[in-house]
Amino acid sequence: MKELLSKDKWKYAFHTVSHPADGFYEIRHRDRGSVAVALCLVILFSVTWSINRISAGFIVNDIDPRDVNSISELITVLLFFFLICIGNWSITCLMDGKGRLKDILIAVGYSTVPATVCILIGTILSRFVSEDEAAFYYMICGIGIAYTLFMMLVGIMTVHNFTLGKTLITLFLTVVALLLIVFIVLLIVDLVNQVYSFLHSIYQELLFRA
Amino acid sequence: MKKTGLIRILGLLALSLITAFPAVTVQAEEEVPYDTYNYNYWEDIVKTPAAYTPEGSVGGIDVGTTAFKEPKDFCISAEGEIYVADTGNDRIVVLDSQMKKVNRIIDTFTVDGVEDRFSAPYGVCVSENNELFVADSNNARVVVLTPGGEYKRVVKEPKSEILEDNFAFIPLKVTVDYADRIYVISKGAFEGILVFEADGTFSGYFGTIEVKISVWEKFWRRFASKEERSNTQLYIPTEFTGIDVDADGFIYASNIDSEGIQAVRRLNPQGKDVIQKGENGNVGGDIRIGIYGDYSGPSEIVDVVYRSKGMYSALDRKRGRIFTYDKEGNLLYIFGGIGLQDGTFQTPVAIEQNGEEILVLDAGRNVIMKFHETNYGSLINEAVGLRYDGDEKQAIDKWREVLRLDENNELANNGIGKAYLTAGDNENAMHYFELGMNKDYYSIAYKRYRNRILADNLGRILTGLIVLITAGLTVRRVKNRKRGKDREEGLL
Repeated sequence: MKELLSKDKWKYAFHTVSHPADGFYEIRHRDRGSVAVALCLVILFSVTWSINRISAGFIVNDIDPRDVNSISELITVLLFFFLICIGNWSITCLMDGKGRLKDILIAVGYSTVPATVCILIGTILSRFVSEDEAAFYYMICGIGIAYTLFMMLVGIMTVHNFTLGKTLITLFLTVVALLLIVFIVLLIVDLVNQVYSFLHSIYQELLFRA
Repeated sequence: MKKTGLIRILGLLALSLITAFPAVTVQAEEEVPYDTYNYNYWEDIVKTPAAYTPEGSVGGIDVGTTAFKEPKDFCISAEGEIYVADTGNDRIVVLDSQMKKVNRIIDTFTVDGVEDRFSAPYGVCVSENNELFVADSNNARVVVLTPGGEYKRVVKEPKSEILEDNFAFIPLKVTVDYADRIYVISKGAFEGILVFEADGTFSGYFGTIEVKISVWEKFWRRFASKEERSNTQLYIPTEFTGIDVDADGFIYASNIDSEGIQAVRRLNPQGKDVIQKGENGNVGGDIRIGIYGDYSGPSEIVDVVYRSKGMYSALDRKRGRIFTYDKEGNLLYIFGGIGLQDGTFQTPVAIEQNGEEILVLDAGRNVIMKFHETNYGSLINEAVGLRYDGDEKQAIDKWREVLRLDENNELANNGIGKAYLTAGDNENAMHYFELGMNKDYYSIAYKRYRNRILADNLGRILTGLIVLITAGLTVRRVKNRKRGKDREEGLL
């Protein structure tokens, strides 16, 4: 664990941000990345997202503060993160992707860094802008999110050793796989619920007759 | 087994005791038979104190005549007399300003020596020049009388090239502006309000409601066959339902908007809509509406009354609500409801203001319902009035009182914020504008606040910057020198 969170691994995450193509290549082939760091980065992203929703300046913040629940947001972000990774992994396995699940987790996790940094900067800035300067806030956040998406694309492309076209196709299929997973999970939940209520009613019936 | 029976009996006893002697509930300040609420920035429903409370009703028998029968309209003259168009009884009933007794009943009038009668008089209006206008719907005419009921003249069915051949003139509502121009809503006249000059000549349509066709509908029409196209419903604009005129001669007209966005129009003398919509761009009554059931769908505004100081109230027949807006289109308060209880409506058709009271004519109950303003309502009315007059500073005390009664009132917070802004207290202004969710004004206050801080501390900021820069340069120079030394030593 200590090794997974070592200073070198952290440094490498930020190196990847500035050198995406090389960075992801070494993650795949020289084990320079770390799943633990990736997870930390995703959690950081979720925290930043909640901070942004709660305490971005009044001018840019249209959210009813009573609606924000950082715990449920964290769970949502983590669920979504794992869904994307597992969806992508299950598709790329079938399509000759070279990446392991570990590499996909790292690639997606490291990609959140620009969004985290930019949203944090934007949130601080947003407390000092007036309405006509709000465009700067949106620009900074937009750049961060765009760079994150770009990194994700490059990351998945590199760890699987795909061409751009094939990456885009797998990404589309990933979304389909994602929906399938959600559908099946919901189905199972519903079935389990029905079995539970069936058992529960038997239990109640027994209780009333006794 | 016996034990459970006993317990059950005891339980029943306890239950009956609870229902027989209900717990003492905390008495609300005003107990009203309807919901009073408003919408906040997020368009959520927020309960508010009642702005108006019911004060009983007045029917035909109460004032010493036979009961009204489906009255459709009423109006109040400058002297305070109340003219009720008692449509089902073919008469106009004139009540005194206290609504205690009948002053007179107008059911016949003499035209050139011949006695004439109304047939379903639907609308009524008293002009500034003290003439009584009656929209005599089944006789297809507008009769002009003296307030006493003497015949003066008649406005007949208009003849013009712009009217369709099969145009039928069925006047429903009528109003008159300061120049004695007559504005008539005719049944089925989708082109707008009919305008007549003082002498009764027809001068044209006014305030046509434009039809909106969405891109999606256009897209489907392109693919539809001719037959399908003729089967789909026609895109016709909605009719106007109610009409009123303010002191400046602007016409307030209501219509039933199927989208619930704009149900009131303020028409300038050219017939152009100049109404101001508030932050949410909505002057159509309820914003949060259900999708299913009898109670669903947008509000159906059937009448509008211009109050004073730019305020106007609209009457919704669907849920029996009365919506009051200020000049800027902010929703001030909502009250009223449909029901059988006292103080609720069955079929509200018309609304008027009589001093501090709001009067609503109910064609189902055949009575005029009275509503009296509460402390909360009068505070808002006064504060809005003061703001309309440009007296924001005076308004601040009123708004503070409103806040005491309704802590989350966004209008009150904005009112106080504006007063602080004009007084130059930017920090307090920012605080109240944030509570009032007013980004535009918050921005103005914030900019001033920021500039003040920058201006006050310019010297310190510049000094700090210079110190930082010199420090940075020095550090770099020292580092460079050290590195140079290291290199030299390394070389040696």
